[in-house]
Amino acid sequence: MNRENKRIILILIALCICFTGLIGYMSYFQVFRAEKIKANSYNKRLWINEERILRGSIMDRNGNVLVYSEERDGAIQRFYKYGNLYSHIIGYSHREYGKSGLELIYNNALLNINENSAIDEIINIVAPTTVGNNIELTIDHGTQERARNLLQGRKGAIVAMNPKTGEIYAMVSMPDFNVNRLRDDWGTISEDVNSPLLNRATQGLYTPGSVFKVITAAAVLNTPGVETNYNCEGSTTIDGYSFSDYQNTAHGNLDLNQALIKSCNTYFTTKAVVVGEDKLRKTAEGFMFNSNIPFDLPVKNSTYPKGNLETTELAASGIGQGKVLTTPLNMVLTASAIANNGEIVKPILVKNVVSTNGKIIKSNRTETLSVAVDSLKASAIKEMMIGVVQTGTGSNASIRNVQVAGKTGTAENPSGKSHAWFIGFAPANDPKIAISVVLEEEGSTGGRSAAPIARDLIIYGLNNIKF
Amino acid sequence: MFNKKVSINSPRNLLFLFEILSLFLLLVSQWNNIEKTIYYIWIGLILIIYISNYLLNKISSGDNYIFLIVTMLMSIGIIMIYRIDPNLGMKQLLWLSGGIAVFYLTYFAIKLIRGWDRWITLYIGASYFLFIMTFLLGTRKYGAINWINIGGISFQPAEITKILVIFIIASYYNKPDVFKKYRYSDYILMGIIYSFIALLFLQRDLGTALIFYGIFLFVQFIYEEKRKLILYNIGLSSIGAILGYVLFDHVKIRIQTWIDPWSFIDNKGYQITQSLFAIAEGGFFGTGLGLGHPEFIPLAYTDFIFSAICEEMGIFTGIGIIMLFLILVYRGFKIALNQNNKFYKILAIGVSLLFGIQSIIILGGVLKLLPLTGITLPFVSYGGSSILSSFIALGILQVSSEDINYEGEEVVE
Amino acid sequence: MYNLISILFKYIFIIIIYLFIFSIIRLIYLDIKSINTITLEGNAYLKLINRRDSLPYKVKEHYSIDDEITMGRYSDNDIFIQDPFVSKRHFKIVEDEGAYYLEDLDSANGTYVNNERIEDVVKLSNGDIIRVGNIEFLFVDRG
Repeated sequence: MNRENKRIILILIALCICFTGLIGYMSYFQVFRAEKIKANSYNKRLWINEERILRGSIMDRNGNVLVYSEERDGAIQRFYKYGNLYSHIIGYSHREYGKSGLELIYNNALLNINENSAIDEIINIVAPTTVGNNIELTIDHGTQERARNLLQGRKGAIVAMNPKTGEIYAMVSMPDFNVNRLRDDWGTISEDVNSPLLNRATQGLYTPGSVFKVITAAAVLNTPGVETNYNCEGSTTIDGYSFSDYQNTAHGNLDLNQALIKSCNTYFTTKAVVVGEDKLRKTAEGFMFNSNIPFDLPVKNSTYPKGNLETTELAASGIGQGKVLTTPLNMVLTASAIANNGEIVKPILVKNVVSTNGKIIKSNRTETLSVAVDSLKASAIKEMMIGVVQTGTGSNASIRNVQVAGKTGTAENPSGKSHAWFIGFAPANDPKIAISVVLEEEGSTGGRSAAPIARDLIIYGLNNIKF
Repeated sequence: MFNKKVSINSPRNLLFLFEILSLFLLLVSQWNNIEKTIYYIWIGLILIIYISNYLLNKISSGDNYIFLIVTMLMSIGIIMIYRIDPNLGMKQLLWLSGGIAVFYLTYFAIKLIRGWDRWITLYIGASYFLFIMTFLLGTRKYGAINWINIGGISFQPAEITKILVIFIIASYYNKPDVFKKYRYSDYILMGIIYSFIALLFLQRDLGTALIFYGIFLFVQFIYEEKRKLILYNIGLSSIGAILGYVLFDHVKIRIQTWIDPWSFIDNKGYQITQSLFAIAEGGFFGTGLGLGHPEFIPLAYTDFIFSAICEEMGIFTGIGIIMLFLILVYRGFKIALNQNNKFYKILAIGVSLLFGIQSIIILGGVLKLLPLTGITLPFVSYGGSSILSSFIALGILQVSSEDINYEGEEVVE
Repeated sequence: MYNLISILFKYIFIIIIYLFIFSIIRLIYLDIKSINTITLEGNAYLKLINRRDSLPYKVKEHYSIDDEITMGRYSDNDIFIQDPFVSKRHFKIVEDEGAYYLEDLDSANGTYVNNERIEDVVKLSNGDIIRVGNIEFLFVDRG
């Protein structure tokens, strides 16, 4: 074949590759990208259904209506009874600003649209739906309201859940915003440096600080042959870097129990190095670090550093500093694991999707996600956490007549003041509520500022939630 | 005589079935307000297509697939245009009938008139004339000054220039030695093509500029003896592209909205994002004709017709369209490979490149795979000048697919 | 009602479009296969002008002529065509010093070159059209 024809074929091949590329890209687009693009609020097709279908209501666990739609003046309108309270979990469905939270994720359920099969499609055409489905949450409205009041004026998040079933009773992130005033406030809230649009409870990544010691304690118990006694001198030098205790207090001779109660930094940095990088990381991963927590709202993954850590970094990880980052949701799961014999259950926010005629269309059931530690070690750690509240750093969370287990944390924050943490659960012998509180850049210790909040909410929850 | 068994697989019959079914669908949808003339025109067009496909086999000894493929493409297009706007659909029906007539006219004109390879000066002159006309009489449409309006009929001169450029390039590379006696003849050719591209830049018709450049570069790649020139060409165009980006705001906007249209969703990125919504919404099988919302897509009947088709007829139909273009381009190159007459060989390459590059640019554009440039999808989009020029190009390809039994002066019938 | 039909039709349309594409690819494939079976190495060849798929019997698109080629209804001919118009041995083309000559082998219905019935032998030139019954060949000589 002559040169000319060879070149012609070369160009033909090039064009064929381009066309095949187009076909390939289209298929890729349809399979991987289309869903997300379709959900963009600028897609006017989304709002066509909105005009003819009465969007479903959203209720709390006791049937209190939180959000509903109604036809007024010939148009369907959405009414949010509590402007700020559910701004992060229920979110909003707004013509200009789109959808967020459950309004976004449960959009099809709320509108009762099925797009799954050709048959659904035909059913939709023949008998179009006019009324959407309702959603029942696991949230207890009273607890949610109390949690928000407790956080009022601060930055941070509170998550309260049932450690055995995974039902979320309250989930609050502050600062929040008023979904009824989006049009007026959008400019302010979208540019606010405190990012009120961010749901800190699931997407805020914080240095855990001492609350992570619960996990390090589990790692110590998981490693056979680790010497659990230690003489604390107030500070220690690991690989040339000095770790010290709060106010340089020397705790003297300690076992693991005492170390957790007193939240001894030198103890846990030293033991983290003894336990080793592998064991500590695996234990953290058992507590859902570095993995995706399935939830009804988008969740950021907690991170525990991977790869060859330097010894100082490993030591810092042992007390929840360094590159360890976690979400309040992950920390409530950590407390729940200890409360629930070491098992982490899937957190649930939406209990049921119910059609207008009362039929349950979809419901979330309790599922075990991971076994973080075995039940013997879980109960050992539980005892230590009871000690933390009875005699240790968490005494501000103690309640008369109810045994509370918990752990405080004061996380050093390289970019600002320290975060105050408290995680815990109650009653210790039969846990009904697990809680995690984080106060962002509070500048005070977890025991002083976060523990009283947890205490107040636990009291309210135990007295008012219908378990 | 030709007692060939009628097979259901015969593409001609499938095409016929497709058209009859779409007419039936139209009938059902407009049951209440039947306007008879529409049906007469529809049926007329279907018959023209069917008869043309049948007759062409008898008239032309050349390729008998390209016209079939094109009629399929145009059937899909007309259904969509009619669904979006029946008035435009009516006009498009007439344009298509005109297009088929122009196809036959071109076919016979190219075949019967000898000497097409000798009129390079005429082609160059006509191209410049059309450009001057555009600047003198041009009106701005969708940000580009590439329309002229004569007696109420809008007309895009660049569509004709496309064909002329193919003729210029073919005439030159057919007998480069003839031109070699002028010094720097190859640079002069390059200069002429570049001047066209620059003029198109000024008219803001980037898509067409890209088509000109692509055709020129590829033919040069095949035929240019001085390989250095190809490198110069690529180098120059890269500099030109960068200069264009820096100097012209309209170029910058295209690139910006290509990289991230979502940030400009209210204004500059509106078109492309609406296109993506439509394609995403369609899924693999589409919503069904009349059940989607192509009215949300700007220019759904011309530049964005592919998105509208994907929304209502599904990604599968979209992939089908791409495959049809692929076969069309493949046939075009096959024709070029089999042609022994160099002039017609280059014409065939030019036309195939035209169809190929134009469809890739606009398909890539509406999918956000390439920066969006406003050009039509050949044979599918609405538009008189586009349809006519595409059919002229197809006529040229049809002639090129036959054995041309003459070299220059020597004419053997 | 319309909606239902429309949904049904969208599947039918896609099926038709793909059948269409498939049938075209199949035809092109058959086409290429028939071309590839012969190599047009020689200078001269005969090219069928009729559409191959319009003829009810087997016939190839190209026949290359080396130094002699015969055509007729019998299968020992180089070109054998089972058409009632074609005689058992119809014509032959021979090469002589770079030129090609067509000889009619006393066929019943005759051989036509450029629509003129030939008597015995005629010299062929590039572009001549040879017709037997309804079948037409183009003579191509690239020499």
